[in-house]
Amino acid sequence: MWHEIFKFELKYRMQRPETFVFFGFLLLFSIVGVDFIFQGVETGLVKMNAPMIIAKTMGAITGIFMIMVSMIMGVPVLRDYQYHTEALLFTNPITKWDYLLGRFLGSLTVLVFIFTGLVIGMMIGSQMPWHKEEEMLAFSIFPYIQSFAVVVIPTLFFGAATFFVTGMLSKKMLVVYTQGIVVFVLFLLTKAIKNEYLQGLLDPFSLTTLTQYAKEYSVSELNSLAITFNGILLHNKLLWMVLGIGILSYGYYKFSFSALTKKPKRILNKTVKKSKNYTNTSLLIPNMSIHIDFRSQLIQLYELSKFYILSLVKEASFWAIVLCGMIIIMINSVNLGTVYEVDSYPETHFIIAELQEMSMYFFIIILLFYSGELIWKERNNKQYLLNDATPISDVITLASKFVALQSIYIILMLSLISTGVLFQAFSGYYKFELGVYFSGFFIEIYPFLMLYTFITFFFQVISKNKYLGIFLTLIFFLLTIGLEVFGITHSLLKFGGKPLGTYSVMNGYGHFLKPYVWVKAYWIIFGVIVFVISALLLNRGVAISLPSRIKTISNRITRPIKYTSIALFSVFFMLGSYIFYNINILNTYWTANEQQTFRMEYEKTLKRFEYIPQPKITAVDLNVELYPENRSYEINGTYTLQNTTEEPIHEVHIQKLIASHVSLDTISFQGGAIANTAYQKFEYTIYTLSKPLAPSDSIEMKFTQSFAPKGFEEDHSDTQIVHNGTFFNNSILPTLGYHKKYELRDNDLREEFGLATRTSKAEISDTKELVNSRSGSDSDGILLQVRMGTSKDQTAIAPGNLIKQWKEDERNYFIYQTEQPIINFYAITSAKYEVIQDQWTSTETTIKPVDLEIYYDKNHFYNLDRMMSAMKTSLSYFSKHFSPYQYEQLRIMEFPRYAEFAQSFPGTIPFSEGIGFVLDIDDKTDVDMAFYVTAHEVAHQWFGMQIEAANVQGQNFVLETLSQYAALMVLQQQYPKEKVAQFLALQEELYHEKQRKAISEPSLALVTNEDFVYYHKGALAMYKLQEEVGEESVNLALHRFISDWNTHNGKIRAKTDRYATSQDVLDYFRMVTPKDKQHLIHELFETTKNVNELQ
Amino acid sequence: MQLIIDNISKTYDNGVQALQGISLKIPKGMFGLLGPNGAGKSTLMRTIATLQNADSGHISFNDLDIYKDKNAIRKVLGYLPQQFGVYPKMSAEILLNHLAVLKGITNKKERKEVVHVLLDRTNLYEVRKQNLGGFSGGMKQRFGIAQALLNNPKLLIVDEPTAGLDPKERNRFYNLLSEIAENTIVILSTHIVDDIKELCHQMAIINRGEVILKGKPLDLIEQVQGKVYQKTIDRSEFDTYKNQYQVINETFFMGKPVVQIMNNSNPGNGFEPINAGLEEVYFSQINQSK
Repeated sequence: MWHEIFKFELKYRMQRPETFVFFGFLLLFSIVGVDFIFQGVETGLVKMNAPMIIAKTMGAITGIFMIMVSMIMGVPVLRDYQYHTEALLFTNPITKWDYLLGRFLGSLTVLVFIFTGLVIGMMIGSQMPWHKEEEMLAFSIFPYIQSFAVVVIPTLFFGAATFFVTGMLSKKMLVVYTQGIVVFVLFLLTKAIKNEYLQGLLDPFSLTTLTQYAKEYSVSELNSLAITFNGILLHNKLLWMVLGIGILSYGYYKFSFSALTKKPKRILNKTVKKSKNYTNTSLLIPNMSIHIDFRSQLIQLYELSKFYILSLVKEASFWAIVLCGMIIIMINSVNLGTVYEVDSYPETHFIIAELQEMSMYFFIIILLFYSGELIWKERNNKQYLLNDATPISDVITLASKFVALQSIYIILMLSLISTGVLFQAFSGYYKFELGVYFSGFFIEIYPFLMLYTFITFFFQVISKNKYLGIFLTLIFFLLTIGLEVFGITHSLLKFGGKPLGTYSVMNGYGHFLKPYVWVKAYWIIFGVIVFVISALLLNRGVAISLPSRIKTISNRITRPIKYTSIALFSVFFMLGSYIFYNINILNTYWTANEQQTFRMEYEKTLKRFEYIPQPKITAVDLNVELYPENRSYEINGTYTLQNTTEEPIHEVHIQKLIASHVSLDTISFQGGAIANTAYQKFEYTIYTLSKPLAPSDSIEMKFTQSFAPKGFEEDHSDTQIVHNGTFFNNSILPTLGYHKKYELRDNDLREEFGLATRTSKAEISDTKELVNSRSGSDSDGILLQVRMGTSKDQTAIAPGNLIKQWKEDERNYFIYQTEQPIINFYAITSAKYEVIQDQWTSTETTIKPVDLEIYYDKNHFYNLDRMMSAMKTSLSYFSKHFSPYQYEQLRIMEFPRYAEFAQSFPGTIPFSEGIGFVLDIDDKTDVDMAFYVTAHEVAHQWFGMQIEAANVQGQNFVLETLSQYAALMVLQQQYPKEKVAQFLALQEELYHEKQRKAISEPSLALVTNEDFVYYHKGALAMYKLQEEVGEESVNLALHRFISDWNTHNGKIRAKTDRYATSQDVLDYFRMVTPKDKQHLIHELFETTKNVNELQ
Repeated sequence: MQLIIDNISKTYDNGVQALQGISLKIPKGMFGLLGPNGAGKSTLMRTIATLQNADSGHISFNDLDIYKDKNAIRKVLGYLPQQFGVYPKMSAEILLNHLAVLKGITNKKERKEVVHVLLDRTNLYEVRKQNLGGFSGGMKQRFGIAQALLNNPKLLIVDEPTAGLDPKERNRFYNLLSEIAENTIVILSTHIVDDIKELCHQMAIINRGEVILKGKPLDLIEQVQGKVYQKTIDRSEFDTYKNQYQVINETFFMGKPVVQIMNNSNPGNGFEPINAGLEEVYFSQINQSK
């Protein structure tokens, strides 16, 4: 008997449009599936159609479309209930077993059919022209079928079983909609599990499981081995299948035919009335007044909104969503702002970021389903026959539903905010910045939701049913993303504009807010126009088709609507013009293509000047006036240029910074020069000196440069000059000669434009680069003087001794000067700083004391002691073992978290607020990363400031790996052995993790930009070396290295014009290494062997 | 005060001609619309209630064209559809209040008062806090009546209002209706002939989308008075009678078939004259037009 029901179910489903709509949608989506799921993920050498990639994509897409599973599986029993066919059905002689089995298997079959769209779509996708040949394997149907069978079918079975049972037992459509989220929440919950095996086991979509399944795989194995039921994947699938069967059995046990036909209870009792009935007839219907003026429409809007809010908050599913959101926040907030496994204090912006990421899913669910629910409510429950015959305006009806949905978002937001506050309180963090919470939600997230509400309302109004409306909205959503891929990124064309830039505690939303607000205003007006159109097309009365509603739309355009529309269009147009004026006229709007072409032409035209002889900058004198309030500056500068070559120099090539609103107003050479402006397009000018610069001679070059941003830009790229937390380095100033940084980097694009492949570093034997310490270096060291003015509440900091400080015209002025040459790489910062000061004195009396200063934001006082202690310990250790510290001060300056790093400049260390300052270090469980990072940066005062390395392969070994070693030794001195071991274990983990994804792995001696080699492997290798040959010996080698290669007075350095390389360092290591361990130097630094396997 | 329906026609997308040139003038008081199921009554009422557009023709209320300004008629309209639904999770009081807002009763005090009075008059006051999802058919119908009266309508359209009501409730409702009809146009659609007879001053019979008879019930009865005869017959004779006479109705009396015929004079043959009522008028029209 069950097969009759099975056949009926199949036949019924095959006539339903949604079966094919779902199939088609899945198929279309899957064509771009791999690109969508792995968008922005570095897959390295793993091919885009490797079995692992296919399996993960399938798993992820199945997860995303759980809702589809729910819509198919949740309804079969519910349908009978809804259409009241249950009485007909259940009086027939069928058993519960037949009925349920038939329905379940029938729907499951249809479900599997729908999901074959995934397989077909992905196979078609693999043949799409946008895949490059080298990133694909030869096509084979097998991995698709196998991944589908192993990964997708069991997930579908579990989903099918669960949704079938919940749909059947709850008998509510809304449960059917929302249960997809519950599974997603489950998935998120598993992400919070620390234990890897458990996390993999419990992942319902098997994504983590797959990662762990192939944890030990090499790239070639990832590309070749099929996904089979094995290991953790087998356990995972078994678990979920068994759970599915369990749920089915439970459902079978709980379900009863008679219960289905029973009406809800509660009807009877109260209908029995006392017989005093007719005494009431005397009550006449009182006189009341009917209003439809503007004021009463506002009252209607208010009252109706209240009613619709009430109707939504009565849905249990809404509270389930709120609760899930709260739980997720609680779970995810446990690890916030994690840097090297150390969590940060739960500063509000971290929680906001977490909320934004996680809650988006909930908001989208609410947006999609509740908008459908609201628009279709009266039609579905047939109350529209009453409502539509009342004199309510369509605009008011739609507006009140709109307001209700907005209120629902707001209720959810407020619940999430209170959860965040609760979490902070539980963590002992009592600085509740409600303002940051509110701006995070109401400025960053809310406009997006509001805009999409306009869109969903529109699609719901023009659709024949709710599902079509949801579907159209989804298509719209994907289209917006798709258009972006095709380069439609201009804020005036990309629906909704762009997200707001990073929030910084120091700088707030900074200058990002203004363009954001304007663009949002523009799109909101657009949304209101869409809204008015929706109201005009709103279905009223008995099924009037969309075309006839469009035909009769003029009947509905009343005078007020007409004038409002005209006003809206005018405002829309004005806002658009204003934004266009700012982005495209006041500023230059570059499309990606224009940018690429410019870079290509730059290289093709100017590359020939790359190594022409140029003088070197030997002294810089700057007079900087910084105006943080309007993000502008004026700089008067003088460069002293010396001819260090053997031949006279006739021409000086000046490259101005290519950036908008930066102008190099004047430039003049001592003795005069004639400008050749042939390359003005690239802001590259060749000055022919009136009198050639003889070898060893110097001249002065004076310039004035200014920066004054106008209006606002499309992208928030410039984060150097900001309202609070300005941080820039000398690369904004004019430079000498061709500059490699303007070259096109992407090698695929380079090939397209006919440019040679660009390597990230020159070969170690490249004689042209051996004499450079940086790309296009125009100096071998300078004396610097900076006179700097900034606003009255800010402190400006530059390298050198603070010579003078005063106030003038309500501004703060500072003069900094260096006593000895520094590298031509220095930073200037200005912000509202607090400062703590201390002093370090050496045990050797010949060395001057060093002033220690940390300039920090008033909110970020947590780790100052740790940083200060790191500076002191480092200075002691390095001075004692390597060489004396060269400056009279060492300063740390905090800067906004637009970048998350700390960077050493001469005597100054700009340090991002995103790392170190807010780490919540628990000395029991964590490594003191604030201490470590500080020590590493202090080490750069030696490896970077004293020693400069040639701009060739291995440069980062000399600078970074040696700094890692130095910091590690300081850590070892300050903390117990276990902490060092913990630190090394993390380095090893990070090394392997990044190594697996890497395209190639060089040895340390030839490392280029592979940070997993020079940071993580570097730390491991140096630690190993020091274990094997002894800390004293390694330090001795480094001491000798520095004294020979020190940029300013090194014994060897003074006799050569080249800079030190990794090979030089290794020579010093070899000198201190006993014979029997010499092979280690080779193996650790010149091979890619695993450090821990070396003997 | 009058409602003029002028030559209204409506054909549905599936080809069914629901209304074919219907014209009626409806004055103040109770107007009965009688017709079998599927005659087009509900379509006509929905059209008057602005829920549906006619393909051609005009409807005007007090010289107001309802297609030009639908909201003008909606302001004075009370409408009780034949079948309707409600928000199941809302209480009667909240939902009635909601509908009052929709009708434009924006003064809170007035709204509260009218909601309470109507809940009282429809005997729902004590269950006003209950969710409508738990209401019985009769209770829901009474709720429908309450909402139709909210704005003290000048034009009240009630479509099969007594379906689901018990006789006592039905009487109470008709009392209410006749009270309202004193200064209101009330259009009552039904297929129960007695309802019309008891209540209406004017009536029309609609079949297959056409008005086949209109007038005052008493006049109409007068027209057939003395022309209706009936006879108890054998089941087997039925066809013979059908061919021979103008049979307007077949009923049963004590389990035996009874035929009623129209004839201008006494046909003899065992037929006996009966006192004609509205029912006979109705059947004579409906069965003639078959």
